[in-house]
Amino acid sequence: MAAEQSAVSKLSDWARTRFDQLRTTLGTIGKPKTSIAARLFWLSGAWLMVALLATAILLTELYSRALDTSLSETLEFHVETLVSRTIEATEAGGDAGSDTVRVGDPRFERTASGWYWTIRGQDGRLANFSSSVVGIVLPEITTPFSAGNRRTAVATDPFGTQIRVIERAVTANGVPLRIMVTGSLDEILELVDDFRGQTLIVLLAVAVMLTIMSFIVARIALRPLQKLGKAIEEVREGETETVTGDYPLEIAPLADEVNELLRSNQQIIERAKNQVGNLAHGLKTPIAVLRNEATSEKANPLSRIVLSESDKMQQMVSTYLDRARISARSAVVGKKADGIHVMLRLVRVMEKLHPEITYAMVRADASLPWFRGDESDLEEMAGNLLDNASKWAKGQIGVTMVAERNKSQAMLLIKIEDDGPGLTEEQVKAVMRRGVKLDEKVQGSGLGLDIVKELVDVYGGSLQLKRSVLGGLLAELRLPAAKLGGLGRSG
Amino acid sequence: MRILVVEDDTNLNRQLKDALTENGYAVDVAFDGEEGHFLGDTEPYDAVILDIGLPHMDGLSVLEEWRRAGKTMPVLLLTARDRWSDKVQGIDAGADDYVAKPFHMEEILARLRALVRRAAGHSSNEITAGSVRLDVKAGKVTVDGDAVKLTSHELRLLSYLMHHKGKVISRTELTEHLYDQDFDRDSNTIEVFVGRLRKKLPDECIQTVRGLGYQILED
Repeated sequence: MAAEQSAVSKLSDWARTRFDQLRTTLGTIGKPKTSIAARLFWLSGAWLMVALLATAILLTELYSRALDTSLSETLEFHVETLVSRTIEATEAGGDAGSDTVRVGDPRFERTASGWYWTIRGQDGRLANFSSSVVGIVLPEITTPFSAGNRRTAVATDPFGTQIRVIERAVTANGVPLRIMVTGSLDEILELVDDFRGQTLIVLLAVAVMLTIMSFIVARIALRPLQKLGKAIEEVREGETETVTGDYPLEIAPLADEVNELLRSNQQIIERAKNQVGNLAHGLKTPIAVLRNEATSEKANPLSRIVLSESDKMQQMVSTYLDRARISARSAVVGKKADGIHVMLRLVRVMEKLHPEITYAMVRADASLPWFRGDESDLEEMAGNLLDNASKWAKGQIGVTMVAERNKSQAMLLIKIEDDGPGLTEEQVKAVMRRGVKLDEKVQGSGLGLDIVKELVDVYGGSLQLKRSVLGGLLAELRLPAAKLGGLGRSG
Repeated sequence: MRILVVEDDTNLNRQLKDALTENGYAVDVAFDGEEGHFLGDTEPYDAVILDIGLPHMDGLSVLEEWRRAGKTMPVLLLTARDRWSDKVQGIDAGADDYVAKPFHMEEILARLRALVRRAAGHSSNEITAGSVRLDVKAGKVTVDGDAVKLTSHELRLLSYLMHHKGKVISRTELTEHLYDQDFDRDSNTIEVFVGRLRKKLPDECIQTVRGLGYQILED
């Protein structure tokens, strides 16, 4: 029982740890991380360092072994020379101490060079030796002789120099002799040290160059990603509707996925808009019926209740429809609309609805930029302003469109003015204040301005009401312009 | 004036019919797009109130069909969709005006009066012929400033002739425009009403054009 409990608690501890790990991992998504190029730089740098260090060690080791072999061969050669010269001397009637028993290498002449040779008799007495041995006592080797009557060892001479020792036991003319030759190991170590130093410098330079190269290569390889980022930014800024451009095989699917995401987002918005429309149609007709029925029997107290309640219902329906529209709108990306096209269409409609009014349209700028947003939203803003002007105008309405620059942003200015009674400054203030937000609104301002103001806010534009030279109201609608102004327009 | 109401909601349809009848219009009704299209195509109406969301055939298609066939009667669109893009679509399909649901019945009546008046070429709500003055909005008639009491049938007849003053209106046309489709067209009620009107108005107001019909002369 206790064992089971402990197993369960272990399991739950394990699960908790895994969960915490997962949360930590997930938590980092979205936070900025080290750049890929930098990561590649550090990784390849570290890897190159390790690899090249190993190479340096290996090369030094090989070089050191080659030198060691070469030293052994040299010593072996000198031993052979001494053996043959000793035999020659004894056969000629001399002994191992003869002058002819010599080695030509001048290093054997220098004191403390580490290069020595000696020929000893059976009793260990020196029969002959190199000049370098004068005045010193070489260390005795205790290694036993091998089958070939030779032995080797590493020893230290009286000067502290490391030496390699090769000794042969020979019999010259019946006299047993030990011929020993030594060479300096310190010389080799010095050479190896030099070699190691130079190799490290060269390989370090190679490592640095390769690391820099890998960084540059990474930057070049990642350039399409930067391009993709820019393309997505353009979509967000509303300059294009989809991610465009040619991408390498590895990144093209990502661009396609982004476009697919944008498309599905668009579809969701469209569906939501349609459902909102259907809801409107579904609710507005019954409300109309209730209201009409109640209006025709005003004397009935029930009718009064129905009338006031259906008014509230209608108010709520339109308030929430407007809010639904606006919230769906703020998610719309990559849209733009030709302002001239929209205004011409609206003026055409207005001319039919108000045949007694003359509409004059002035396009002040030939290369007028497009509106950065949804076409139906522009229609909604300008349509309400135009409709409002038409209600009050005596007979004349002017529409002017100009390109403007507001700080660093390109703006589209639409001016709608009429020759009606206009508004006083106090009235303008009141109108602009009234129904500041849709959800605070109790009753419409009667000017259809609430939805215009909400939309202007969503798009980061502005609406100003002034006095027109025509005598009536001048509404100035400033909206963000899309780049590529004037393109794609003909006639 | 004869009006066609095309609206699928039975209650709203009835309310519109009642309000219009009360205001002196002859009213025909249809409850779906196909029926509405057929009536508008075959009967002469002075105006149509047309809902956009209809079964069988939507309002905009009905309207486009009528305009394609050369029907010019003014059409007032009725819809829950009140965005400007919807309005533009409606006007482009050939509508003359647009009322969003829910609406006040007075608004429908005012818009309808304006449409009928505009279609006949009048710019004001008051139409005069000599000393006779018709206030279309109030449904009042005066002669030299004195109010004349008329029955609703007499008013309908005078209103139609005043709207089309200067033109000779046949008895058939009057019957077609003053009564809905269930009216017995063979009766001689028109002659009876003209006779009664002549007694209440100046003698020369309504002229008989022999063999053709009646006419109110231009000033």
